[in-house]
Amino acid sequence: MERTELIDKLTTIFRATFDEESLVISDELTANDVDNWDSLTHMILISEIEKGFDIKFRLKELNKMKNVGALIEIITSKID
Amino acid sequence: MSDFIIRPATVDDAPFLAETIIEAEKSGTDKLSYSTIFGLTEKEVHKYLINILEEEIDGCELSVSSFIVAEYNGKVAAALSAWVEGLEDIPSTIIKGNLLNYVLPKECIKRAMTLNEIIRELHVEYLPKTIQIGAGYVAKEFRGNRLLGILNKEIITKLLNENENVNSVWAQIFSCNVPSLKTYEKAGFTVVTTRQATNKEIENYLPSNKKYVLTKNYK
Repeated sequence: MERTELIDKLTTIFRATFDEESLVISDELTANDVDNWDSLTHMILISEIEKGFDIKFRLKELNKMKNVGALIEIITSKID
Repeated sequence: MSDFIIRPATVDDAPFLAETIIEAEKSGTDKLSYSTIFGLTEKEVHKYLINILEEEIDGCELSVSSFIVAEYNGKVAAALSAWVEGLEDIPSTIIKGNLLNYVLPKECIKRAMTLNEIIRELHVEYLPKTIQIGAGYVAKEFRGNRLLGILNKEIITKLLNENENVNSVWAQIFSCNVPSLKTYEKAGFTVVTTRQATNKEIENYLPSNKKYVLTKNYK
């Protein structure tokens, strides 16, 4: 999957999860930058990403992700 | 008091810590958000919380390392959690969300998705590099020994000593938890934010539709 295609798919998941149609994701984006990024929403987000990309994160991987860039990197490594 | 030993919690304390999280969540009511949001019985919540605690992931309210306990004759009598928010630049809510996603069955997450819009109205972000007080609980037979006050003092002192640049302590309390609110105010905490949900439905899932955020500066 091309990076742009991956970002498009991820953007759709982010927008649906946060109910924010204008949300734009970038490598630097963190939970501090998005309203309502609480534990429940994060849990749903990760679950939807796993479902959308048909992957399963390991707990260790999840707890190292400091921003969306790191998230994209891990997704890429799993689908390649 | 001299017969009580105060020590950091270990993974062997997980069953008592799970009970602490459950009782603190209920805030003196019978409404357990982990049950109402995820569609689980209290017994199932207890089991999943133990699973989460046993992962021993640091940095959030569901981390064994966030807890200290008071022990009496080898029995855990009380527990309290506190942590420095975002110490490793990852918000505790993210760590908690990761743990919930990892341990809970998918149908629980599906159910939570339908309720998220209602629940998140009461969400208050934790400020990075501040001490956040989490769940506290004293087993019935050990009440009246001021154990929560002792644990509070102990854990705050420990975290302030370990983190030079951290100087404020925060707590979030449901409005129905009047005893806890009074205790914090007596200890010098002041209410800085009140968050009230507009959707009455929230009372079906949380102990109250109103939450107070309190803080106290040290150093």
